[in-house]
Amino acid sequence: MKIIKQFGIIFTICWLGTVVEHLLPFAFPASVIAMLLLLVCLLTGILKVEHIREKSDFLLANMAFFFIPAGVNVINYLDILKTSWLPLLVICLVTTVITFAAAAYSIRLTMRLLQRKGGHKHE
Amino acid sequence: MNELWASPFFGIALSILAFWLGVKLQAKLKSALLNPLLTAILLIVGILSVFDIPYESYNAGGTVINMFLAPATACLAVSIYSKIQILKENWLPIAVGCTAGSITSMGSVYLLCRLFRLDEAMTASLIPKSITTPIAVEVSASHGGIVPVTVIAVIFTGILGSIFAPLLIKLFRVTDPVAAGLSIGACSHAVGTSKAIQLGETEGAMSGLAIGICGIITVIVSMILTY
Repeated sequence: MKIIKQFGIIFTICWLGTVVEHLLPFAFPASVIAMLLLLVCLLTGILKVEHIREKSDFLLANMAFFFIPAGVNVINYLDILKTSWLPLLVICLVTTVITFAAAAYSIRLTMRLLQRKGGHKHE
Repeated sequence: MNELWASPFFGIALSILAFWLGVKLQAKLKSALLNPLLTAILLIVGILSVFDIPYESYNAGGTVINMFLAPATACLAVSIYSKIQILKENWLPIAVGCTAGSITSMGSVYLLCRLFRLDEAMTASLIPKSITTPIAVEVSASHGGIVPVTVIAVIFTGILGSIFAPLLIKLFRVTDPVAAGLSIGACSHAVGTSKAIQLGETEGAMSGLAIGICGIITVIVSMILTY
């Protein structure tokens, strides 16, 4: 019953996510709305992590498994991959390096500015 | 014979078996290249092709598994919530780093897609490739992308991130564990995070936090850009 109850909680939040998605005047993914709803429930104490621990551990630990069908669907797009696998690989590699650098440098700059500000306070 | 493949149990059982083999293979050979999800996808695509099983038959079970994607995405909230203390202590570097990372990722993908003259559908499929699969799939689908191409690109990116993370940390002289973790998470989501966890506890926690936050930022930015 415990697991069924946890499934019930998560599925209810997912359903509320789709309800909110329909009510919003712009397109916003229902599953991300559900994630934000769940985060708000946890932060406000409406839900405790204990209420959904087993179910969320199960889903998070096996997250990759749930993407298998979405990935297997590539079987219907093999032509596209055949013609553009090289740009795809190059794009993935180059942008991963650029993204890492952008995040690393912006964080370093922020931390330095924070330190300088903090330093002034102590002076 | 075809109606036997069309039972949803076939697709589900095949997926579980393929994933189990993928996990075992990675545990045995300990190579980042052997991502279990990638192994499972290749195995199933191979089996369906060799035995001439229609994709629709496999997908009778596939849709059942697909149904768990939204709940799994929602549960990312639990992993953000469990790191709420670090989030509060470092909120500014986290906000700046994830925003810069997400925008740079989307922008650089867009420019390179133009450079390689890829069409709109392909571009839309690749733009969310640095964020976690559940959110990337949503962003891709809502902008006319090809979801399976997105899934493949996301996995590739994650594998590249987890292989190159130690090298990138040295190359860009990242000495702070908070900055290292966030940067890994921002460029290579959960697969990169598995590497970040090996580098240290702070790196792992930060990388894990960046997954959810970069996902949300990417959704918001892509939404603003389409309006």
